[in-house]
Amino acid sequence: MRDLYQRLGVSPQANDEELQQAVARCPNSALRQDAKAVFEVPKRRESYNQALTTLSDIGQLRARLGLTHGAHWQGDVANDFSLPADQAVSRHDELVDRVSHAVILYNRLRGLRGIWLLIITFFVGTGIGVALGFILSKTLAA
Amino acid sequence: MSIARFSPFELLLLKSRSQVDTAKLLLLAWVLVHRQHVSEGQRRRRLAQVSVHFRHGHELAPIIHIAQQQDLKAIQLAAEVLRKECSKEHSLGVMHQAITVATDSGELSLANHYILRFLADLLNVEPLTLNTLFQELTGSPLATPEDPSRDAYWRIHDADYYAQKAREAEAAQQQAREAQEKAERQEKKRQQEEAERAHSKAQAEAERERNRQQEHARRQEQREHKKRQQRESQQEGAKQRSSYQRASSPPPPDRTARALAVLGLMPGASQVEVRKAYRRMAQLHHPDRFYTESEHQIALASARFQRIKSAYDYLMHTYR
Repeated sequence: MRDLYQRLGVSPQANDEELQQAVARCPNSALRQDAKAVFEVPKRRESYNQALTTLSDIGQLRARLGLTHGAHWQGDVANDFSLPADQAVSRHDELVDRVSHAVILYNRLRGLRGIWLLIITFFVGTGIGVALGFILSKTLAA
Repeated sequence: MSIARFSPFELLLLKSRSQVDTAKLLLLAWVLVHRQHVSEGQRRRRLAQVSVHFRHGHELAPIIHIAQQQDLKAIQLAAEVLRKECSKEHSLGVMHQAITVATDSGELSLANHYILRFLADLLNVEPLTLNTLFQELTGSPLATPEDPSRDAYWRIHDADYYAQKAREAEAAQQQAREAQEKAERQEKKRQQEEAERAHSKAQAEAERERNRQQEHARRQEQREHKKRQQRESQQEGAKQRSSYQRASSPPPPDRTARALAVLGLMPGASQVEVRKAYRRMAQLHHPDRFYTESEHQIALASARFQRIKSAYDYLMHTYR
């Protein structure tokens, strides 16, 4: 399977008119015939697009996992759907990082719990005292 | 350090009792999602059936949901986990499961062709091993995937469309032919009508003209009658044939037919034939052949030769 959009030099979102122009412009008669067969019926284009999405997903996965030169990835597919290895970090490393971050935060929270409890009880106590004094002074004045 | 939230799959993985099994489960669900003609319930049941011996310890529904969303990040994470923690023997087991899930009874779908190959690359399974495994499990060798970017694919998979198109083209041709015939008929009819109208108009005029000319013509006719009769009897046959052959073209000038007759040819003779006939006739009737004969004979021959030559010249100038 080939990426016809790439070979014709149009974007996959191109409308029918642009596509037809690109097909007519194509100098390779075999490719032109294939492109006509795929794009002349909307239903075919749809199912072709579906396959294209799956394949570009797999191409991306392979690029991220360093499998662009696998024994099972050859021919047209490898030519059209291989991507340059991007700088995205390994998801597993990312997960490990995130977990350790979460653990550190949790531990810090645990460690700080005693101090926070003291502060909170102090503030609650003073709050209650102020409120009681306020009410008492009101009732005495009346 | 990333501060993003944990994704649903990461949470599942963290809660899982066995990360490898969860990763395997997601990849198998991914394969299942790309299987065609399978309902939602069937997918769930199949996945439950596969995961009987898995020690993941969580619900399957969220896994299926993630696979259906085609969450590339989650799939990548699962692939990484699997690659990190799978031994050689284990990886063959995973391939085995993936193949059975992908081809329970039906065909391997196009997407699954590539997914299985991706898994094989991921798990370091050689093409030869994969082929053998596939053949053992399904009874048929692992074919090269079909190519929907080619014309030939659609001629096989969408044969109805092409058959219908051919039928339509035939019908259109038929219609065009009929329309043309109809137009021709109408045209002919119109021409006929026009001719009739012109004829009736001309008739009135001709009536007067004829009355005037009749006297004149009768006198002339009498004079020419004898001469014409002679000529006509000689060439009537030729003329008839000529008029039959060239019915469509404008009526052939009488002179051509006569010139051909002089050379002893049928109407419609080709230039080569004319030239040959002329050579033969010229040899036969050349006045020099008769120089031993009387003066009279030479004069007659010369007249014949003259006629032949003028007929030949005329034909060479105008014919074809």
